[in-house]
Amino acid sequence: MKALVYLTWRSFVNNVKRAVKKPVSLILMIFLGVYMVYVAFLMGRLAMELRFDSVQGLVILISIWTIYVFLTNFIGYSSRKGVIFRPGHAHFVFPAPIGPKLILVYSAWMNYIMSVVVNLLFVLAGLTVFGVEPWRMVLFFAVGSVLELLLEGSLMVFLYTNESLPRGVLKGLCNAIKVFLAAVSLFFVWYFYQNGFTLETASAFFDWPGLQMVPVVGWNIAAYRLILLGADKLNVACSIFYVLTVAGMFFAAWRMKCEGEYFEDAAKFADDYAEMRRKKNSGEMVTGIGEKKKKFRRISGDYQASGAKAVFYRQLLEYKKERYFIFSKMTLLGLAVSLILAFALRENAAETGVPQMFMLGILAYMTLVFSGVAGKWESELKSPYLFLIPDTPFRKLWYATLMEHVKALVDGLLFCLPMGVMWKIPPILVVQAVLIYMVLQANKMYTKVVVQCIVGDFLGKTVQELLRLFIQMFLIGIGIAAAAAVGMLIDLNWVFPIILIYSMIVTMLIGALASIRFDSMEQID
Amino acid sequence: MLEIQELSKSYGKHLAVDRVSFFVPDGQVGILLGPNGAGKSTIIKSIAGLLRYQGRIGIQGISSRTLEAKKIFGYVPEIPAMFDALTVQEHIDYIRKAYGSSITDEEAHALLERFELEDKREKLGNELSKGMMQKVSICCALAIKPKVMLLDEPMVGLDPQAIKELKKVVLELRDQGVTVLISTHMLEMVEELWDVMFVMEKSHIIGSYRKADVGEKDLDDLFFEMTGGGES
Repeated sequence: MKALVYLTWRSFVNNVKRAVKKPVSLILMIFLGVYMVYVAFLMGRLAMELRFDSVQGLVILISIWTIYVFLTNFIGYSSRKGVIFRPGHAHFVFPAPIGPKLILVYSAWMNYIMSVVVNLLFVLAGLTVFGVEPWRMVLFFAVGSVLELLLEGSLMVFLYTNESLPRGVLKGLCNAIKVFLAAVSLFFVWYFYQNGFTLETASAFFDWPGLQMVPVVGWNIAAYRLILLGADKLNVACSIFYVLTVAGMFFAAWRMKCEGEYFEDAAKFADDYAEMRRKKNSGEMVTGIGEKKKKFRRISGDYQASGAKAVFYRQLLEYKKERYFIFSKMTLLGLAVSLILAFALRENAAETGVPQMFMLGILAYMTLVFSGVAGKWESELKSPYLFLIPDTPFRKLWYATLMEHVKALVDGLLFCLPMGVMWKIPPILVVQAVLIYMVLQANKMYTKVVVQCIVGDFLGKTVQELLRLFIQMFLIGIGIAAAAAVGMLIDLNWVFPIILIYSMIVTMLIGALASIRFDSMEQID
Repeated sequence: MLEIQELSKSYGKHLAVDRVSFFVPDGQVGILLGPNGAGKSTIIKSIAGLLRYQGRIGIQGISSRTLEAKKIFGYVPEIPAMFDALTVQEHIDYIRKAYGSSITDEEAHALLERFELEDKREKLGNELSKGMMQKVSICCALAIKPKVMLLDEPMVGLDPQAIKELKKVVLELRDQGVTVLISTHMLEMVEELWDVMFVMEKSHIIGSYRKADVGEKDLDDLFFEMTGGGES
């Protein structure tokens, strides 16, 4: 235990020291903190506006939170993914003479802190927004931070270390819970869409006695109702069941034999988690922890290309081997967003009389604000082979990013087409919009490279991204302002061509500047 | 001593280790040899308690899963994984606390000095190169003052000076009566270290030699005699 406390404490101290040395990350953390407070304040205002600011409203929010937390914890712990382990654990902690159960319970400290923080937020909200008496909130905090954590810890030990429960049964149970959660969420949406989101409709839903009778999670809610709303027969009985369950679970977890068989899953999770973080930090698309190994198609054939052109053909070959060629989950997501926007904004777009401008605005927003995922060209820059190819930096830049332009063209088409059709925009404008999308994406890519050249990795990804956004908005903004002026003063039909031609010129200039990055692998650290 | 009895391990349908048994006596250096994918790392990870397995693993006669056995067992994995936010010195201090090790400050400093880490004591885990991590990993395992030491491809990433030092350390451990098991496929690196060797192929141990029985015969020759390769 002493060693684990030491490990956590020293890591914390060193991380704080590091954050202080890097003022940018510290400023970002402070900014994030202030933003969270602002969001909490807004939520409070929203609760008041919806006339949700009573004890009944708080009970509803706590009930929703309890259901989701309990069920998602169950999924996480039963698939042995709910506790974050690092590769360092597999090296230094698992082989050490520390009880495996202790390692597990201790390593989940972040989960406990999260629970305590959320409980504290509920207490603050209870006292300030919902007008609950202080003694009730103190009691709520005690139950939430003691009984609930005891239950969580026991459940964790029970599911992580239990070797007798067949894996198949647990997996089936997890899938059932996922389906249940999705169904409940959909039902919530449907119910409140039909009846409106008011205290009365929510109360009618959560006051249903059956909810408190649901084993464990329902009993937990009953305990909170007992504290916050006062005693009735049902919540007293269910609260007793809850206390007995926590005691029983704790005793079972305490007695459970554990020799560390979960280390195998935990070590695998640690590697998967580290890989996920690495991918995320380098801007690659991440859909979860422990993604399955990609399967590639077998492709026969050859390609003739020399110099930097070979990079393009190699990328093309790689895409041909992918199951869905250049299409990915992001393509589907883009299409879905476009369909939703096209449908949801159809009336607003028609009202303005210039739906094409609506589309242009959405395109510009999507391109400028969203950072997107890293493409193949970014991994090219990490490989020394690109720099060894005997060709000019500009050709290397062009061929390393050419495939991205093709992808942007297809994505642009899929994004603009639904809006073009539903909003009845002339085809020539849709084509121009697709081209603008492609050029703006290229502009974003090259500006990213230029920013990397200017600041290197010194200021981190977030600052790089903010700087990219600022430069791109400034440069493209000039063109957009000019086009808007011409549109208003002369003819609206000039807006699209001006933006397209201006963006192309700016993008070519930035591209020429960005090609420096393709000259040498060495960058500012 | 290190005792492996009927050890089997499967990953799904793939049987990585099939009823393997071997024994390394006190004060001897065992070498686990074999081509890639033979099952060496699976055995090593099973001994370190990182995998589920069937069979029995004994460290000084105690089941390797018990805390008593873990207390006297040092492990150097193939790929070292440091804690990002812990310095080199803090890694050693953690080991000292976790194992209740009797290593003194002077001994710890001497150990770091021996592996040219003295000036890196305040470096964080994520500031170290692969070779330095490997050296820290070795120092941490030695800081336990183990009775049984397990080294998985320990020479990979080390500079020539560190390799020389590690070889000396292994021989010193042997002289102190410590049981050492080294898994490797760099035969020339362990030529002068081994007392007993085990050759693995396709999840099985296909044979073993004791140095006392083969005299001055080359490790290379013995290995290829058994595996049937090595002809060019």
